[in-house]
Amino acid sequence: MAIENKKGWISWFNPIKYGFDRWLFAMHRFTGIVIGLYLMAHVFETSNILRGPLTWNNVMVFLDWPFGIHFGPYILSALLLVVVFHALNGLRLTIVENGLMLVRPYRPEYPYKPKSLAGWNFALKIVLGILMIVISVFGIVYIFTGVIL
Amino acid sequence: MELVLKGFGEVVKTVTFRVRRYDPEKKEMPKYMEYKVPVQRGMTVLDGVLYIKEHLDPSLAARYSCRMGICGSCAMIINGKERLACQTQILELNKDLIKVDPLGNYDTVKDLVPDLNKLFKNHESVKPYIVREEAEPYGEYIQLPEEREKYALFTECIMCGACLSACPTMATDDLYLGPQALAQAYRYIADSRDAGFNERLNLLDSKHGVWRCHFAGACSEVCPKGVDPALAIQLLRGVLSKNVFIKYKQNPAKLGPERASIKEVL
Repeated sequence: MAIENKKGWISWFNPIKYGFDRWLFAMHRFTGIVIGLYLMAHVFETSNILRGPLTWNNVMVFLDWPFGIHFGPYILSALLLVVVFHALNGLRLTIVENGLMLVRPYRPEYPYKPKSLAGWNFALKIVLGILMIVISVFGIVYIFTGVIL
Repeated sequence: MELVLKGFGEVVKTVTFRVRRYDPEKKEMPKYMEYKVPVQRGMTVLDGVLYIKEHLDPSLAARYSCRMGICGSCAMIINGKERLACQTQILELNKDLIKVDPLGNYDTVKDLVPDLNKLFKNHESVKPYIVREEAEPYGEYIQLPEEREKYALFTECIMCGACLSACPTMATDDLYLGPQALAQAYRYIADSRDAGFNERLNLLDSKHGVWRCHFAGACSEVCPKGVDPALAIQLLRGVLSKNVFIKYKQNPAKLGPERASIKEVL
């Protein structure tokens, strides 16, 4: 009865003791799952149009004002953040996971900070992080006020 | 004159060790046991574990050998992060409670001893040696210092197994090769003397090979020797994705003069 000491899927979302990239991994996993679930819900939501214009309008109003609270824009804003993070981090991963924008092999020196996570890779994280904030601000302002900045 | 070392042998504070105890032969579930350990200056976590074994509970099992971070036997999860027990100072952790677990993602032999068979099997499967066409070399392989720099970083691996324990992909995929094996595969592919790229390709370019890595960087973060396996995996992926369009060509280094002729000169 040897119990394998496996960490399991729950450990994906436990990046506390590791570095920044491990946080990005956990968030990328989480946002990926959220987007997957959203797409299924979205197909179900838009399929309501088959039941006629009245049902469609009722569904739209319910999603904008669930249980009498004007909560729709908050859901949309959260979704925007999730999608923008997943898209931009995915862009970075596509670049670095093909061996581009990384350091050349180096000689390790104490205290052994991994350089693959620094350098151009880190610069990419900063640039895309700023881009994420900018896109989110534009998007959230649009969602709440309907004004394109 | 008598040499007096200030603070030597002095008990600075007492910390609690919370150690995971598990014996597969006893058919009991794993449990945590607490031990109070007096800490002197300069005491490592391994010293603490050995103190427990000597004075408090002789049934505790741990694996160690060199006590100086060379053999890679004593990797454990200390306060939630994979570290070498012999290189982690208790006072540096700055905690009153130290939680010691065996490495995750492995079978446990007993208490703090993980079964590293998986690591060694994966390492063996990527052919961690120089593959050549000729049956027997008659002289030395010629290599420039710049060519050695391309893989020198990845030769530092001590096979402690910390990277496989930290890897989030390894946590759910049993068949994944793991950062250690993939880094060693790149170390030999990048070696200018090697000609075994095509032999290793089938294993690496598979569902459980390089493409399973998601660059979480945890392996590089915990590596006690700074080997940076994540960098090796990404560079290996670069080689493989270029290989789709332009066939990757290895130019195995030429053989030097025959040994017999050198003997004659000497």
